[in-house]
Amino acid sequence: MNLSKNLPLTETTFYILLALYKAGHGYAVMQDVEELSGGKVRIAAGTMYGALDNLTKQKLIFSLPSLDTRRKMYQISPEGREVLALEAARLSHLIEVYQMAEIGGDYHEKI
Amino acid sequence: MRRFKVFTDFEKEEKYLNDMAREGKILQKYSCLGFYHFKESSPQDLKYRIDYRVFKRNEDFEDYKALFEDAGWQHVYGTRWSCNQYYLPTQKSADDRIFSSEESAAARYKLFYEMCSANVSIAVCYFVVVLITADFNLGNITFLTPGLWEMTGTHFWRAFLVELPFVFFRTIPPFLLLIYGFIYAVWAGKSRKLYKQRVQENKDKV
Repeated sequence: MNLSKNLPLTETTFYILLALYKAGHGYAVMQDVEELSGGKVRIAAGTMYGALDNLTKQKLIFSLPSLDTRRKMYQISPEGREVLALEAARLSHLIEVYQMAEIGGDYHEKI
Repeated sequence: MRRFKVFTDFEKEEKYLNDMAREGKILQKYSCLGFYHFKESSPQDLKYRIDYRVFKRNEDFEDYKALFEDAGWQHVYGTRWSCNQYYLPTQKSADDRIFSSEESAAARYKLFYEMCSANVSIAVCYFVVVLITADFNLGNITFLTPGLWEMTGTHFWRAFLVELPFVFFRTIPPFLLLIYGFIYAVWAGKSRKLYKQRVQENKDKV
């Protein structure tokens, strides 16, 4: 499976995958994302369910048996972790070139 | 009280339900084909929100409803198969939206369009089967009595009336399905347009 086709991730997807390092049900993910983003990203219920449904179909997350009969528990899959790592590498490259341009003077002189 | 109304635009449907609540008509049930069941009550200021989803398994449906409840939404009406899911905010709801991104709000139109297209395909497949069984001649599913139209008087009427129920039996199902397919084709066209419009609006914003 070509995982880089999932890139770039939206901010929301990035936070959801990150929140799912720890298994949790839908509402817990909503709260975790809000906390991780410092209150900036607040996902509404319909958007959250749609995202969980899509990520499950893409096999980036999976649901595991839960004690709660109504609420499913979700967790990030190995593929999901890999996608996050690819995205983090993409983002850090962006930051790197930004810093070279901003701190190290004109970026174009260096190449 | 029942009202018949058909919507393809979810935002218009939400507005319709809010307007009805303001007149004291509270949504109880929605049955497919477009019948809204209302209960008379005192006028209320309600903000309905509609999601569009079907569920393969009951546990998915329960998980879905639980997520909305946790987030402060009351599931007013909707079944696993009803597609339309009606919500009202509860006290604890911090927000009056069920979608925080334009894409997810537009995605319901996409799903609606896909459901309509699936129904059109079913109708087309069925019609093709009817055509094949009739040897591509629709005359073969109407009156089959040899020489019927040459008969006269009581001979004709007797043969005609004997075969009539069978003719109905053969022609009514394909006819109804043709109407069914046509209605869904119209809805598919409308919902596709609404979806494209929203996608375009999102692009314009960026």
